[in-house]
Amino acid sequence: MLAYVLNLATLICINAILAITLNFIMGYAGIFSIAHAIFFGVGAYTAAFLAVSAGASIFVTVPVAMAVAGVLSLALALPALRVRGEYFVAASLGLQVIGVTIFSEWKSVTGGIGGVIGIPPIEVMGHALADPIEFLAVALLCLIAIIAVIHVLVGSSFGRNLKAIRDSESASLAFGKNVAVIKTLSVVLSASLAAVAGALYAYYLSFINVERFMRDTSVLIMAMVIIGGTGTLLGPIVGAALLMLLPGVLRYLPFLPQTEIGSIQQIAYGLAMVLLMIYRPGGIVGATGGEKK
Amino acid sequence: MLLLQLLINGIQVGALYGLTAVGFSLIFGSTKIFHFAHGSAFAIAAYVFYYLYSVTAAHWLVAALAAAVAAVLFGILLDRLVYAPIQRHEGSFFTVFVASFGVGIVVQNVLGMVFGRSFVAVSTPLSRSVEIFSGVFVSPLAGIAILCVALFFGGLQLFLMRTHIGMALRALSENTELVRVFGLRPRQLSTYAFALGSLLVVPAAILTAAGSGINPAIGHHVMLISLAATIVGGVGSLRGAACAGLLLGLAENLALWVFEPQWSEAVTFIVLFLFILFRPSGFFGRAVTS
Repeated sequence: MLAYVLNLATLICINAILAITLNFIMGYAGIFSIAHAIFFGVGAYTAAFLAVSAGASIFVTVPVAMAVAGVLSLALALPALRVRGEYFVAASLGLQVIGVTIFSEWKSVTGGIGGVIGIPPIEVMGHALADPIEFLAVALLCLIAIIAVIHVLVGSSFGRNLKAIRDSESASLAFGKNVAVIKTLSVVLSASLAAVAGALYAYYLSFINVERFMRDTSVLIMAMVIIGGTGTLLGPIVGAALLMLLPGVLRYLPFLPQTEIGSIQQIAYGLAMVLLMIYRPGGIVGATGGEKK
Repeated sequence: MLLLQLLINGIQVGALYGLTAVGFSLIFGSTKIFHFAHGSAFAIAAYVFYYLYSVTAAHWLVAALAAAVAAVLFGILLDRLVYAPIQRHEGSFFTVFVASFGVGIVVQNVLGMVFGRSFVAVSTPLSRSVEIFSGVFVSPLAGIAILCVALFFGGLQLFLMRTHIGMALRALSENTELVRVFGLRPRQLSTYAFALGSLLVVPAAILTAAGSGINPAIGHHVMLISLAATIVGGVGSLRGAACAGLLLGLAENLALWVFEPQWSEAVTFIVLFLFILFRPSGFFGRAVTS
């Protein structure tokens, strides 16, 4: 039972990082990306590749993973600068498809469909963190650090600029804000912080493959943000916890067919998305209606 | 020979993509609703046809009519029960999109639970390919697909040009407020748009079921293609959507000539990506950046 709870808590931490970083561009910059799982994946693959083939320590793998994801996120920033709304959603969906194809085809680095196996546990000063409690502590620490970073950023002038761009791009341009740089920075930041979650995930499972970075994951992260409440600090965390607890709860309901749990879970969050958008578009934590453009 | 074969396959697939894309483009252009669940209408129509024709052995015409009724009903109900309440309060693009996306997830999983997640194909007397000349195989479905597209697209054009509802729909895509001033009801027109748009996926759905087969995730795949085609063709241009659908079908198949099959979907999206970066207004679109 303890192992089960620890596992769930660790996964909630990792997913909360993803939701928070996605919310940073979705909620504050108005960039609705459905390609977040790609940066999660880039982080995971980079860390895994370095740890397995070069035996690099976590103090090398995580920064490199962040840097790689940050650079690759320019592919997402580019369309974000050109178009908005439905066009950008389409572009990010396209990026998601292209990314998954690369993950499964670049076999020398990603191991193709089979994935990367045997990723060593995190080692800090000669001590391997093999105990799940220790790992949970690391994940929690990362989560708190990222919450702090995002919190500070949102409150800073950078965050205010982002919100200004979300609400009216032309107005902020008229006020002399460098819209292109601010948008690009926010995307790069969000992607590189998502890569931290990816690296943690790779270390935690010691095995990754492309199935974990497909569109369904991107949608799940998006659902966490939306159900929790876009543009709020607490919302993504609440959403991540709720959606991660859902399969566990469903498993204890005896009248549900156990083989269909996956489908029922997806139906549940699909329905939640529809109903929330009709009755409470701000999400669980968010303000009722209002706020958004 | 391979090239010719791929060309023919590309036209067949592309014609069906085009038809689905036209349906999406019609709905999106006139009502401004980002109807992501359009692919679900496709999947529902395909599965209804599959169930009636293959499982209960109904006559194909009955099955096709039932598929059409199911798709149209789905479109209208979605418009009435989901989009109308959202539009009543604020209806930002993203709110509508998320709700529609949610519907897509629900439909896909319900279909998966009812019919199983694996591929199913409807085998008809027309599904079998014949060798027209050495090494090139064409099934009669290819001809039917092209005929259907011409018929439905022509019919749609006539409808939009000649009938009152058609003209009102075109007006709606130009200026909603003005339509209201003229005493027409945008909500009612939106229902017509959904009915028509959903009807357009039916031939594509049936022919896909009879050709390459369907699985519950097909709705999502088709939706991505229609979305790509709508943008590549230029939002608001039905002709553009049809041409772009054809182009994407061709690109997907011709890619097989150079790349391995796993890359064919990526090729479609690279085309889309380039269009969004360099020509966001598409072939025939009005300039609609930001």
